[in-house]
Amino acid sequence: MAGGGGGLEKGEPDFQIAPMVDVLLVILIFFMVITSAQVLNIDKTIKLPIAAEATKKDDSRAEAIVNVRWDPVANAATFNFQDHLYSKATDFVEPLKAAKALGEKTAAEKPGQNMEFRLVIRGDRDVPALFVSQAMNAAAEVGISDISFSSVNHD
Amino acid sequence: MKPFTQEDEGTLGFQIAPMIDVVFVIMLFFMVMAGAVKVENELSTKLPGSAEASPAAEFNDETIIGISDEGEVSLNDEPFDTPESSDLPQLRATLMRLKENADSAKQPAVVTIVSDAHAKYSRTIDVLNALAAAKISNVTFNVNED
Repeated sequence: MAGGGGGLEKGEPDFQIAPMVDVLLVILIFFMVITSAQVLNIDKTIKLPIAAEATKKDDSRAEAIVNVRWDPVANAATFNFQDHLYSKATDFVEPLKAAKALGEKTAAEKPGQNMEFRLVIRGDRDVPALFVSQAMNAAAEVGISDISFSSVNHD
Repeated sequence: MKPFTQEDEGTLGFQIAPMIDVVFVIMLFFMVMAGAVKVENELSTKLPGSAEASPAAEFNDETIIGISDEGEVSLNDEPFDTPESSDLPQLRATLMRLKENADSAKQPAVVTIVSDAHAKYSRTIDVLNALAAAKISNVTFNVNED
């Protein structure tokens, strides 16, 4: 009586290790790529609000990013634009104007790029709405009408 | 003549089993990381006053969503949901109906969010999230500083 269930005895192909390694490496590369592509590059002091219905960030457009920090101890908000801190939103109007001019000029040189410059507001979830409104007013002063609010998919 | 092999020199050949073990561990790490990674998304709005004037002006019904300093959300002065609810299910369902009615009337659903100056920004995002769920894109945002 033949024992076991050996594949070779029945004439079936043996377990092939090489294709398995190939598949494993492909899956590994897939997870490496999607993990590294999704790493956030944001101000670590800001806790972004959660919005499950928000759309994927459009990175193809010319944009300026304003971080609105909130210090609950000092009860004060700070605006971070291009790595400079401002206590008032009106103070970064001029740098924002320069960023808009540069962004539009760069976008004009790239064929097919969306020309409409926008402002991305990354506000802390605890910051009072007043300070977000002040950042929007600064955008309006510069002539930016397209505003996007950053959020994250989960905590 | 006997062909040359690695075993002739007494060295070990390439071991496939430990390599698969290591690949499995790395793959598990990236699988877990992929699920935990935060993705930055966006909710868009347009500032009022940027629309071009058309020769025949159409006046649409405007819906106003208010946010109090305590986080209470109201639709045309009627309160919806509790201040603790971040999903805002009642508001979301009402906005969906509003969008359906606007679509059937072939008119855009226009919504203005009026937030108290001291209301938390996260509450504004909750409302914008509900509007995004209802697929309402004509949204403006104001802050009541009084």
